Amino acid sequence: MSKAEKPKSGIYVYCLIRSPEEKKSFGTIGIGGEEVYTIAYRDFASVVSKAAMKSYDAGEGEVEVHKEVMGEVMKNRSVLPVAYGMVFKNKKLLSVAMKAGYKAVKKAMKTVDGRVELGIKIFLPKDAMDLDGKIDRCKLDFMGDLTKVAVDSKELKLFSDRLLLNSAFLVERNKIDEFSARVGVLGNEYGDLKTQYSGPWPPYNFVDIHIMGKKRGGFR
Amino acid sequence: MFLLDDIFLRSIGLSIPGFDMIWNFEQILNFAYKERAGEIKDRIKENRVLYEFGEMTKEEYESEDVELKRQLRLAERVEDMDLGTRIDILGG
Repeated sequence: MSKAEKPKSGIYVYCLIRSPEEKKSFGTIGIGGEEVYTIAYRDFASVVSKAAMKSYDAGEGEVEVHKEVMGEVMKNRSVLPVAYGMVFKNKKLLSVAMKAGYKAVKKAMKTVDGRVELGIKIFLPKDAMDLDGKIDRCKLDFMGDLTKVAVDSKELKLFSDRLLLNSAFLVERNKIDEFSARVGVLGNEYGDLKTQYSGPWPPYNFVDIHIMGKKRGGFR
Repeated sequence: MFLLDDIFLRSIGLSIPGFDMIWNFEQILNFAYKERAGEIKDRIKENRVLYEFGEMTKEEYESEDVELKRQLRLAERVEDMDLGTRIDILGG
């Protein structure tokens, strides 16, 4: 690629956190091996790295880097996930977007503070037969039992004919063990169905902030 | 010429069933492309879960994943072209 074709460098945003006292570095774990660090705006900070100003496609390996950075950041703090592919021309424009979306960020942080997302998928085994009644009972048991521990839950798209349940749960960090224990009991009870328990994740399904220009509504 | 006639007739509130039919087909086609991208995304997720449940080997998963992502890029490119959209110059 010639120098003229090379995309300009911008600031890529992974997530938002409560602002640390000083600028914090998370190491060179960003897209293209760039340093991931914080840029503060009032009591929040964007977790960013330098990255090319371009359109980021979902099929590219950068999605994994985006997820891994969020995973690292959320180890010790609450995060507000930002949609994949958000890149700003410069620090000033990021600051303008933060100013426009400040209220939305503050509200969203209240929702997710001290909480994580956990996921449950229940899959019908290959060549499963005579499970009709059991399927309904299983869904009711999982949702009924797990929503007692979770703060919130969302039923997600069933993207396969074999997928019986696809749900996300917002759970307090100090209740993860209790939630996991209940999943274990239910998983054993319905051992002939395939259960996938995943997380902790950033709360993708409970808050998803897209940062845009002020004219387009700031954050949503 | 046909297109100009179509636009002119639409602008004065008249339509020719034949031309309207073509427009309808274009819209259906456009909708089908959008559906297609959604379907492929679902298959990418399903493929991943089947691999995680041990129903596919890593090689089978990766090969299917590459193929599905190729199909997705193609479907999204077609969607971006917006083949079914006609610019309505005169409105109405």
